[in-house]
Amino acid sequence: MDTTLYTNYNTSTAKDNQTHSNIYKQSSNGEAAAIVTDMQSSTNSHQPPSQNNHTHTSTSLSCSTSDPGDQPPGTGKWASKLLKECARAISERDSSKIHHLLWMLNELASPYGDCDQKLASYFLQALFCKATESGQRCYKTLISVAEKSHSFDSARKLILKFQEVSPWTTFGHVASNGVILEALEGETKLHIIDISNTLCTQWPTLLEALATRNDETPHLKLTVVLTNTSIVGSVMKEVGQRMEKFARLMGVPFEFNVIRGINRLCELSKEGLGVQEDEAIAVNCIGAMRRVEVEERDAVIRMFQSLRPRIVTVVEEEADVSSTRNDFVNSFEECLRFYTIYFDMLEESFPPTSNERLMLERECSRSILRILACDGDHHEENNTSIESSGECERRERGSQWAERLKEGFATVGFSDDVVDDVKALLKRYRTGWSLVLPPPQQGGDNYHHHHDQYSSGIYLTWKEDPVVWASAWKP
Amino acid sequence: MTHRMRATTTFSQEQNPNPNPKPNPVGKKKRNLPGTPDPDAEVIALSPTTLMATNRFLCEICNKGFQRDQNLQLHRRGHNLPWKLKQRTNKEVKKKVYICPEKTCVHHGPSRALGDLTGIKKHFSRKHGEKKWKCDKCSKKYAVQSDWKAHSKTCGTREYKCDCGTLFSRKDSFITHRAFCDALADESARFTNIEAANLNLKNEEALQSLPHGFSGQNVSGFGPDFNGMNTMNTADQQRPRLSLWMNQGNPQMNPIDMAGLPEIMQMGPPGNLYGSSSMLNYGVSSQFVGTSSASNSTNSNLSLSTIPVGQKGEAGGNKTNMVETLSSIYSESQNKQSKPATPMSATALLQKAAQMGSTSSNPSIFNASNSFGVMSSSSSQTTSFNQNHNDQQSQSCQNLKQLGNNFASNTNAAAVLGNSNYSSLRTSSNGFDQLMLQTNGKQNEQVQLKLQPGVVIGSNGSMEHSLTRDFLGVGGRGACPPFYPQELAKFASMESAMGLNQFSGNQ
Repeated sequence: MDTTLYTNYNTSTAKDNQTHSNIYKQSSNGEAAAIVTDMQSSTNSHQPPSQNNHTHTSTSLSCSTSDPGDQPPGTGKWASKLLKECARAISERDSSKIHHLLWMLNELASPYGDCDQKLASYFLQALFCKATESGQRCYKTLISVAEKSHSFDSARKLILKFQEVSPWTTFGHVASNGVILEALEGETKLHIIDISNTLCTQWPTLLEALATRNDETPHLKLTVVLTNTSIVGSVMKEVGQRMEKFARLMGVPFEFNVIRGINRLCELSKEGLGVQEDEAIAVNCIGAMRRVEVEERDAVIRMFQSLRPRIVTVVEEEADVSSTRNDFVNSFEECLRFYTIYFDMLEESFPPTSNERLMLERECSRSILRILACDGDHHEENNTSIESSGECERRERGSQWAERLKEGFATVGFSDDVVDDVKALLKRYRTGWSLVLPPPQQGGDNYHHHHDQYSSGIYLTWKEDPVVWASAWKP
Repeated sequence: MTHRMRATTTFSQEQNPNPNPKPNPVGKKKRNLPGTPDPDAEVIALSPTTLMATNRFLCEICNKGFQRDQNLQLHRRGHNLPWKLKQRTNKEVKKKVYICPEKTCVHHGPSRALGDLTGIKKHFSRKHGEKKWKCDKCSKKYAVQSDWKAHSKTCGTREYKCDCGTLFSRKDSFITHRAFCDALADESARFTNIEAANLNLKNEEALQSLPHGFSGQNVSGFGPDFNGMNTMNTADQQRPRLSLWMNQGNPQMNPIDMAGLPEIMQMGPPGNLYGSSSMLNYGVSSQFVGTSSASNSTNSNLSLSTIPVGQKGEAGGNKTNMVETLSSIYSESQNKQSKPATPMSATALLQKAAQMGSTSSNPSIFNASNSFGVMSSSSSQTTSFNQNHNDQQSQSCQNLKQLGNNFASNTNAAAVLGNSNYSSLRTSSNGFDQLMLQTNGKQNEQVQLKLQPGVVIGSNGSMEHSLTRDFLGVGGRGACPPFYPQELAKFASMESAMGLNQFSGNQ
């Protein structure tokens, strides 16, 4: 697993047909030209052990309109096909086809069904919003609903449960903490700038490590920059109090600050963050870069440089909707590919009736909406795009982020110790997860990277699909 | 004590960390406190290389090297030396103490020399040496092989117990939980003996890495001024007795899955507690009465027993002892970490749904029967609508407008309901789902209803399908619909339906 070579593939529908992805119940051959007629009946080998699936499927069978040649929809991959067809129809502006497909999806979709039904449901919402250009409004509504029910307790429960059953987030935490600890070894005044929505769940283990590994425990200042102010912001006060108490318990001198209301990351500055001259700075960026407008990403990297950090850790999810941002269909397919993996992962990690999983899926629905239906129109000077800053989400893959980061930083390899820590972490979860180290760089202009064995970060894979990328950089 | 005596007689080289308060019987080797050497002893300073050299003791005859003096002596016997040479050169061997070669080390000064060669070697490795041995489970590193072996035996088998009662098999998840746990919310919370034990502070190696927070005091986290935790205190003190019952066929130990239950419930599975009638005598029920609905069905026959007086104030050492025994009971008997959520019986689900329905401000959506009632009123409209659609377009348009209004009211209700009752929905939405799906007939009905109102007639006669019935909050999801009522009214009229003007209508 350590030296598995993986190719930086651009998404294509061929990916869906790879047989190793058993989330696709049976790999069906060929693409559907007409949506309904090509559906093959195949056994649902991947049924979640709940009653949801069977009941809903069978009843929707009974009430679906009689389209001639309509195959039972409870078979594999129907969601993917329908959704892609609909995306194409939207892209081609084929109104009647759009209507027809949206209606069909509506019939079959359910947020409580199996993976296909769930994907259909949430992507349908995004497609509808895309077709009606109501993405921003819909998103705001979803946010306001989610905010109403959001509390410290619910957020804590959700994130801790997720971390308990899946290494999706803890992978990045462990890798980043390991690198940060090594880079700041021996320093007495540490200042970590945490740009993330992790509710500080990354830091208790770091605090414990600081307390136990050295005789002289350094002073730690933690500055959290909120990228998603709306939902996370309300609980940060409580989070901060808990962190302070925990640090006191661990015996680590600790200071905690929260920066809110930053619309554009590039606006951050040394003074704004409270960076002192005698501090050793670490910038920890988890899932935040993708929310930055594409044009501003290089500026953000320059901003990082201006902070003079010892180390910068960047963790992102492995999906590319940035290079295809003017191509709706390809963006859509990539988004669908990624979330298919994610939903499958959720399905297999949580118990069947898990409330937390439902919450996470709803969070996904907001992300999906952001990715697909919240961009301002790029072809015009659209004044709604000002509003959309912070909402838009143009994800990039690790290699793409690495290209940007290399403009201002050099790669820091993950030491054997950190890699071992990550491996030990993955062992504590169910099977299906593994760690992939990228292959050594080759090529003329990258000659000096040739000796850099870990050239651009490590990957967490779920069933052989890379899903999370973690990397470390130094000036 | 026994260990120490045995160590003395068998010349064990293990360093004895326990101070020896009792005077030795005559004839046994006298042992000093570690790091406080005999003033008459000969202080030996070895260089790091010599110290770490594995075979210091050389046989003068064959030059073979041995790690220990005793081994060398044993070997020399084999050479059949004449009696004279067998004797040691000195009548009385002077006691040797060793100092650590590391200048910055505490044990570098002769006053803090260590009396045991193997001991000083280990100390030097641990403190100043390279950690070559690594645990593959947790990747913790050790300089001394015996430390590593000892750790490997217990790694992963130990469980960490939080003050709130939750057990963890993984240290990292324990730490993260602990940082956010409500049990930590109190200012005066300290790590008790249990925490210390659980975090493996028993052996010397761990002692060296003792963080500042672990002052080693036996301070209980539950003082008498600890308002919110009093009930937990009482429950805690009863736990040693509870644990006996809990161990019998107790599968449910992961309290995180128990949605909606307060922290206090997480100490044990309610089902098991209530199931055992002899529990009632201990007044256990007192703090569990009146807790959330999951246990309501079994709670009814419990009565308030008197809480033993004075328990609230009896924090401190008393409690720590009990909790300590408790932890050992837990650690030994709790082998598996069980995770599955408690499946709810259909009765409980119905109860929950009913509770949801009655507490919601807008009963129309969430009372299961009512929601269908609302639907059916609209469906009756549309049934007629469907039958006549070919002939009566204008009428159908009117019907649609009414339909739109109906939807509007539904969505409004859903929106309001979604906003105000989201929390109750959230926690019980799963129950409601199960409820929904357990009653298949209703499921059919619901889906069917979905179809009828979804049909919309456009002014040019083509069948347009309004959609996203699901988004309107039907089925009790509480998700606010993405469409405002005004948008739905738009559906009724084709012109601006879904804003698809820009798309050329191609057949």
